[in-house]
Amino acid sequence: MSVGDFGFFVICLTAIVLLAAQAVVHPSEFAQILVFGLADGAIYALVALGYTMVYGIIELINFAHGDVFTLGAYVAAAVMGFFAGTSEDTFSVSNLVALLVTFPAAMLLMGAVNITIERVAYRPLRNAPRLAPLITAIGMSFLLEGIMFVWSGPFTVHVPDLLPHGPGFNTTIGGVFIEFKDVFVVVAAAILVSLLAVFINRSKLGKAMRATAQDRDASQLMGININRTIAATFFIGALLAGAGGVIWGLYFNAITYNLGFRTGLVAFTSAVFGGIGNIPGAALGGMVIGLTAAFSDAYIGSKWTQVVIFGILIGVLVFRPTGLLGMRVPEK
Amino acid sequence: MATLIAFACGSTSGGGGAKGTIKIGSDLPTCTAGGKSTQNGIDFAIKQKNAAGGVSGFTIQFVPFDDCRQAAYSADAGVENVTSMLGDSKFLGMIGPYNSAVAKAEIPRAAAQSFTMVSPSNTNPCLTKDLSTCSYHPQDLRGGKPNNYFRVVTTDDYQGPAMADYAYKTLNLKNVGVLDDSTVFGAGIADTFSSEFKKLGGTVTRDSYKKEQTSDWRSKLLTFKAAGAQAVYVGGTDDQNICIPRKQMKQIGWDAPYMGGDGIETPDCINQASGNEVGISATSAGADATQIPGAKSTIDAFRAAFPQPNDFGGYTMQAYDATNALMAAIGRAINDANGSMPSREQVRKEMAATKGFVGVIGTYDFDQNGDNSLKIVSIYTVQAVSDPTQSTGVCGKTASKDCFVWKTQFDFAKSSG
Repeated sequence: MSVGDFGFFVICLTAIVLLAAQAVVHPSEFAQILVFGLADGAIYALVALGYTMVYGIIELINFAHGDVFTLGAYVAAAVMGFFAGTSEDTFSVSNLVALLVTFPAAMLLMGAVNITIERVAYRPLRNAPRLAPLITAIGMSFLLEGIMFVWSGPFTVHVPDLLPHGPGFNTTIGGVFIEFKDVFVVVAAAILVSLLAVFINRSKLGKAMRATAQDRDASQLMGININRTIAATFFIGALLAGAGGVIWGLYFNAITYNLGFRTGLVAFTSAVFGGIGNIPGAALGGMVIGLTAAFSDAYIGSKWTQVVIFGILIGVLVFRPTGLLGMRVPEK
Repeated sequence: MATLIAFACGSTSGGGGAKGTIKIGSDLPTCTAGGKSTQNGIDFAIKQKNAAGGVSGFTIQFVPFDDCRQAAYSADAGVENVTSMLGDSKFLGMIGPYNSAVAKAEIPRAAAQSFTMVSPSNTNPCLTKDLSTCSYHPQDLRGGKPNNYFRVVTTDDYQGPAMADYAYKTLNLKNVGVLDDSTVFGAGIADTFSSEFKKLGGTVTRDSYKKEQTSDWRSKLLTFKAAGAQAVYVGGTDDQNICIPRKQMKQIGWDAPYMGGDGIETPDCINQASGNEVGISATSAGADATQIPGAKSTIDAFRAAFPQPNDFGGYTMQAYDATNALMAAIGRAINDANGSMPSREQVRKEMAATKGFVGVIGTYDFDQNGDNSLKIVSIYTVQAVSDPTQSTGVCGKTASKDCFVWKTQFDFAKSSG
């Protein structure tokens, strides 16, 4: 074991021991925070997957990804507005219809947006020095934020609370208050991640994506359409980000145009934590970061949460740059 | 030369009063409902004055400035606006700013040219009082020049304690979780609440957050609840998402009062609390106009001119008063200048000399620091009302019948003697 690995495990172990102490002293409070952390972490995981997939295939940190996520939430708010019969007070059939339309609409639209971004901003720079597409990605991020700013103004936008909630849709188990929403978020994220895993490992396109990530030139020689495969990667990443945006909107009911900046960085940290390029790693990283944020809010103080999260980012990069589950990047 | 230009401009404006036009500016964050409803009060006062013949033969022209940048007030924008006003010699005073942080940046510019500022809503005590808790001295802001800054509201050093008194004595709460948004205003008001609440014998748990860094307050709220808190006090403003934690209290199944300063007495706050707005209590650094005999006719006239429920806000009447006090000072300054266009220094001097001004919110003077002699703090709580257009407190946008309703007031001028 290297010194770096040792340092990494010592830090992880210390955190786990301190949390275990809290779990013993205040079990129900601890379990409640665990619920919040898992729900937040599930959303971070969905966004982190997009970062890690794109990085895995073209080694680009797509900084616009967090804003694609936010745009998904904005589109969701707009689409929900079209359904007149919905109610925020009681769950009706119209709510269900609205949800069934909103999810695919926001996801597909975000897929289209991300393919466009890739085609316009990244593909022409694919062989340029690596700094060029990185700067372009930051530019795309500002562009998307600007579009949302112009569209909906600078204020916090309300997303209709269409999921079942209120009396009858929550329960207390052993002192832990759980809403239907909490369960919904985690289950929805789990389903999407499982579908992704099946797709990557079983489908032909998934195989092409893995091959392209491993060696782009060799894949091309084997007859894989590189452009189509990379576009598909952006499309699938954006489907997840779009779904994440809709779920975030339904869960918190409040979004702002620059939400993606912070969420994007947190999701990126999750991806690095799990091992950038590593798909199960990103999902795991998202959960760990979500839990870290919740525990930090409760036990250290909200103002330190960001410090803790980005401290983890630096710590991982210094002590264990391959992340928790190991990096998967093209071998040169 | 200046007179000549003023005369030339006056004669070209055509529709102005016999002697020409005097400009009054305003500097408010009109991207917010609070800023907009405050601006309405100024607009109304000036229209009323002009309809009655203007000020000593001069027509008053209202020039509103907006200090919003990217959805929130900006001190830089405020300084730019003041610089624009200073560049035009027809501006003899301004109403504003709305936010204390903006005032701190503007006062040095305006003081250098004896430009009178009257704020309808700045509540940070440091702008006028030399307190040990302040990071600067008021005389330094003015750069050694005589005071040019006045305000018609009470300061935060009364807002926090008023809510602490209300929570401890009236609501009988002994343990409160205190959360602030890490702004100068938010942390300041949370500090004054906490120290008074502890002095009374209560227990306080503190935490802070930053808007850009937080979307989920549930863990923090839960630790407040676990620490035995019976209510939450928030120091901050709605543009920092200060009322989203209110919504999340419902998500963790916590039914308890939610209290704060004037920064949460806004439609955006009710909107953010979406579904959990009833039970929010806020202080307002001034008297409720409906509690003052004689104010009703002004409010009714305002309502007729500005009929939307949120045209009227917590500082509309304060702005109306501030404008009238400024116009009265301009009127006296015109007399000092023998009926011609007065200098800014003459206006400033007359403003400082204001005695027994009869306004809508009371009858008051200004002390040498620029603070008014009223020390009243009002308390409002959100509840469902039948007719929102009659409410003096603001109402929600979607929850249009949930409005801030006046509960009680604390008069610190009386209690301190």
